[in-house]
Amino acid sequence: MIADRIIEQGTLSTQDGRTAVEVRIPWYRALPGSCIAGAALTVDGVAAPEDTLRWTMNNRTFSFEELVDETGEWWFPLDSAILSGDLPVQDADAEHEVRVDLKLYIPYIITDHGVLHIEEHDTKTMKVAQR
Amino acid sequence: MTSLGTPIQGVTLYSFTRAFHARQYDLDGLIRKVAADGFGPGLEVIGFSSLRGFPDRIDDTFVGQFRDLVAEVDLVPTSLAVNVDTGIRRDRLMNHDELVEYMRKQIEVAARLGFPIARVQISLTPDAMESLLPVAEKYGVILALEVHADQHGAHERVLALRDRYEKLDSPLLGFTADWGATVTGFAPSLLEAYRRRGASEDLLRQVVELWNAFYAEGPPNNQKVHGERFGAFIGLAARHGRPDLGIDFGINGTGLFGPAPLDTWLEIMPWVRHVHGKFFGIDENGEEPSVPVRGLVRQLVENGYTGAISSEYEGWHWNNWQDPFDIIRAEQAVQRSAAADAGSAMITDASEARRILSSHLAQPVRG
Repeated sequence: MIADRIIEQGTLSTQDGRTAVEVRIPWYRALPGSCIAGAALTVDGVAAPEDTLRWTMNNRTFSFEELVDETGEWWFPLDSAILSGDLPVQDADAEHEVRVDLKLYIPYIITDHGVLHIEEHDTKTMKVAQR
Repeated sequence: MTSLGTPIQGVTLYSFTRAFHARQYDLDGLIRKVAADGFGPGLEVIGFSSLRGFPDRIDDTFVGQFRDLVAEVDLVPTSLAVNVDTGIRRDRLMNHDELVEYMRKQIEVAARLGFPIARVQISLTPDAMESLLPVAEKYGVILALEVHADQHGAHERVLALRDRYEKLDSPLLGFTADWGATVTGFAPSLLEAYRRRGASEDLLRQVVELWNAFYAEGPPNNQKVHGERFGAFIGLAARHGRPDLGIDFGINGTGLFGPAPLDTWLEIMPWVRHVHGKFFGIDENGEEPSVPVRGLVRQLVENGYTGAISSEYEGWHWNNWQDPFDIIRAEQAVQRSAAADAGSAMITDASEARRILSSHLAQPVRG
């Protein structure tokens, strides 16, 4: 697993109460939206409300509910996706601790307990990127 | 008497996952690097790792560019690793017809890109393989089902596939033998990675002891035993106050380091069309400390194997302190030395590799 690369350094952005960061897949192969089962976005210990989270990949934006049935759009290992949510970040000049949690299904590994899922997280410190 | 085999040297781009993922090389650059550093001539690619848009959006322009590049740098495509994503939907597993179509699309891409083999995976049952035989025939691609830890050459699921292959008697159905099924120790580089994550020496010693006990007992021949062993690793981590390491111990201790004896490969050897030279690291003596590379190469040579061995470095999962290119170079030196010790040689010349691979893949199984 390559969990230390989930958050792209220097990609934190915030506008009008919504905050976003670019994320990389911590896995060696592409996965479709249906296998991106959940995420959390936390800045300085405050998590974005779950229902406000959105996932953007291949120039399309999805709620996590919409991803459940999405087997046509794939997250390629070289591409950054964007995770965003309602989260005001106050001081744009300060360093912020950003944490992303991801839950991914591995669709070719079927265990006695169902399709294998992995949970990975990454934390990095960065300033809000200047636009 | 079987004449001595001459396995073809090669590599899977999976070995370089960390460098590719870090955008140090794009696909074109990585293939050129493989050729320039002499890691071929055999070239294996994982469709869902290396090919953007795989399998639905692979257009003819890309296919042409890929074939031109491989020809230009004089590599030999061996296997396109395809995936049996039975669990792609959240509400249920794929049904039989969906699975056949899902595999058909990937196998078609293998043919278009010039790969003679599609590596498929263990969740395909004997019935599914039988259903896919007409697909293999349509595209002229061999389906080589990967035998990977926690299964092995004498596992009940593998033997059931072998028996079906024997009945169907087609040269297009076979196996990819993954050396991770026949490992002789818990990889030292992974222990080092756990040490760097703060695992105590006492815990690491007990991880090794637990794995060694499973090795002494022999490999799991069914999924129940596998599950019990997975649980034992989780329990061990929990008892030492490191439940965060439990799943990792279980996945690696059972799914990467399979404890089967080498002779289990003899159960399926006539159907082995391709080999994953799975390994995890190289020690200070230039040897693989936990995969018996020398014995495995000797076994292939003595059994007349003339297919490819894709060096498959999997230590990248945890080893972020050593250069994977150096490690693969060292492992391939061990393979060549082992083949020489067995009275033969690895094939490293591309034109010879093409000729030998073509004859290896064309022969009937019991040839």
